[in-house]
Amino acid sequence: MARLTVDDLCKTFPGSGGRPPNRVLDNVSFDMQGQVFVSLVGPSGCGKSTLLNIVSGVETYTSGQLDLTNDEGRPARLGYVFQDPRLLPWRTVVQNMLYVQDDNSSQTRDRALRYLDMVGLANNTDYFPTQLSGGMQQRVGIARAFSVEPDLLLMDEPFSHLDAITARGLRENLQEIWIESRKTVLFVTHDVMEAVQLSDRIIMLQPGGRIFDDITIDLPRPRHQSDPKVATMQAEVLGRLESMTGVNDDVSQAAPTGGAP
Amino acid sequence: MSTAVQRRETSAPTGEPAPPPWYATDLAARLSSYVFGLLLWIVLAMAFERVPGPDEVVVRLVQEFQLGQVFGHFGTTMFRFGLGLLVAAVGGIAIGVLMGLSPISRAFFESPVLVGLSIPAIIWAFLTVMWFGFGWKAPVTTVALSALPFVAVNVAKGVLGVSRDLRDMSRAYGVSRARRIRELVLPAVTGYIIAGVRFAVIIGWNAVLLSEWFGATDGVGFRSRYWYDANRFGGFAAWVVLFVVFIVILDRVILERASRRAFRWRDES
Ligand SMILES: Nc1ncnc2c1ncn2[C@@H]1O[C@H](COP(=O)(O)OP(=O)(O)OP(=O)(O)O)[C@@H](O)[C@H]1O
Ligand SMILES: [Mg+2]
Repeated sequence: MARLTVDDLCKTFPGSGGRPPNRVLDNVSFDMQGQVFVSLVGPSGCGKSTLLNIVSGVETYTSGQLDLTNDEGRPARLGYVFQDPRLLPWRTVVQNMLYVQDDNSSQTRDRALRYLDMVGLANNTDYFPTQLSGGMQQRVGIARAFSVEPDLLLMDEPFSHLDAITARGLRENLQEIWIESRKTVLFVTHDVMEAVQLSDRIIMLQPGGRIFDDITIDLPRPRHQSDPKVATMQAEVLGRLESMTGVNDDVSQAAPTGGAP
Repeated sequence: MSTAVQRRETSAPTGEPAPPPWYATDLAARLSSYVFGLLLWIVLAMAFERVPGPDEVVVRLVQEFQLGQVFGHFGTTMFRFGLGLLVAAVGGIAIGVLMGLSPISRAFFESPVLVGLSIPAIIWAFLTVMWFGFGWKAPVTTVALSALPFVAVNVAKGVLGVSRDLRDMSRAYGVSRARRIRELVLPAVTGYIIAGVRFAVIIGWNAVLLSEWFGATDGVGFRSRYWYDANRFGGFAAWVVLFVVFIVILDRVILERASRRAFRWRDES
């Protein structure tokens, strides 16, 4: 488990080719810690992936503070599920899992195989990524992220490229694995239904990269889409997202797309 | 622990289009190019007195084998060529990877590599004989110096093209630098390495023959020159045929296979 503190974080991409600089994150502050599943929701282009990349250390930030430590106060071990699978095409499934591990011990290998089993890929360990369907590749990405026993797990719209049925299956799958493992998770999505089903807390980002709202979801797990309490909550969160879309009108940023239905 | 999978048998789909007629296949094209070359040779030999014909060359070749000259010289040359090539490949891959990964080493190596590319093998052949005298050092150094820049340039180009997404992924997971080079960078540039080594083989072979021609007392280049100096073009041509065959086999059989093996992950999809 990890503790993540973000304070007044700003990110501006320098303008290139005559375009003005692009402010993507604007004074973002939040704090999360322990066995918690936090979702980051917002329309396309509002800086969600950028925020995850900054947290993971792949991207730099312009100003503000970011502090990420594990329970012992040391730098946190990360797992990261990207928007696309990002597997090494020349390595088999199991080799891809081992690529991100700290050591080559047999326990590590067993753990990798266990997570592959959990996402239903126990029989595909020796396949190359090109021999798998898109959904199967994404599942390898999920198994890989869990298998490093991360202190903090980052997930960036892991189901957005998949068809609805596959996505639903994987969502259930993720919920089960999370209930078992209770990692600290920061999960990006623009799907409110998904956010409510999975999270303890939803942070809404608005275009221009400001935090608009921070909602606690206090419902027992496992949660199902058919459960009326879940449906009520979804309607409420959707309502707040729509009130934000009203705010959009006087934000002169690029128009959001693919946001709230 | 590995799981048994049945995916290796590739079953031919039933609705496959009919194979092309025998005269329109790649093999037919390749064979007819060989036949055409042979015919051209025969015609030239008949037209010009100083061009030895295939019959004469074959006789010479058999004589050289009978004299026990072939394996000794070939072995000597192979050793020099192989060692020089190894140095070129290892050094070229190392420099290429460095150039691809860090802008500072790119700035440092760019000019020396460019200079290296523009120096022909014959210059190295002369220089190294001046430095080392007759013996194995001159040909080995000539091969290494002529071929290395080609490997380095190709590998650097490949490293620069490694997917940014995969590099970010590796960084987010904290994969060690050594492992990243071994499992991400090198496989991604395998195609470039093979292309570079193929170049290096041709250039290195050139280099070793030149170097032996001018500065050795044994080896294929030396023996070719021996016949040349004796004004016996049949013997000279016999050696040319020998090493042309050798280079073709090396490229077609070994490098071609290596490249197919390296891209197994692509072909099996
Ligand atoms: N490397 C970069 N250089 C310049 N601008 C960038 C870069 N990466 C992202 N941006 C800009 O930052 C903004 C936010 O991008 P980001 O990928 O974080 O959005 P997102 O919220 O993840 O959107 P989506 O839901 O579509 O994935 C976009 O306007 C994009 O153009
Ligand atoms: Mg994104």
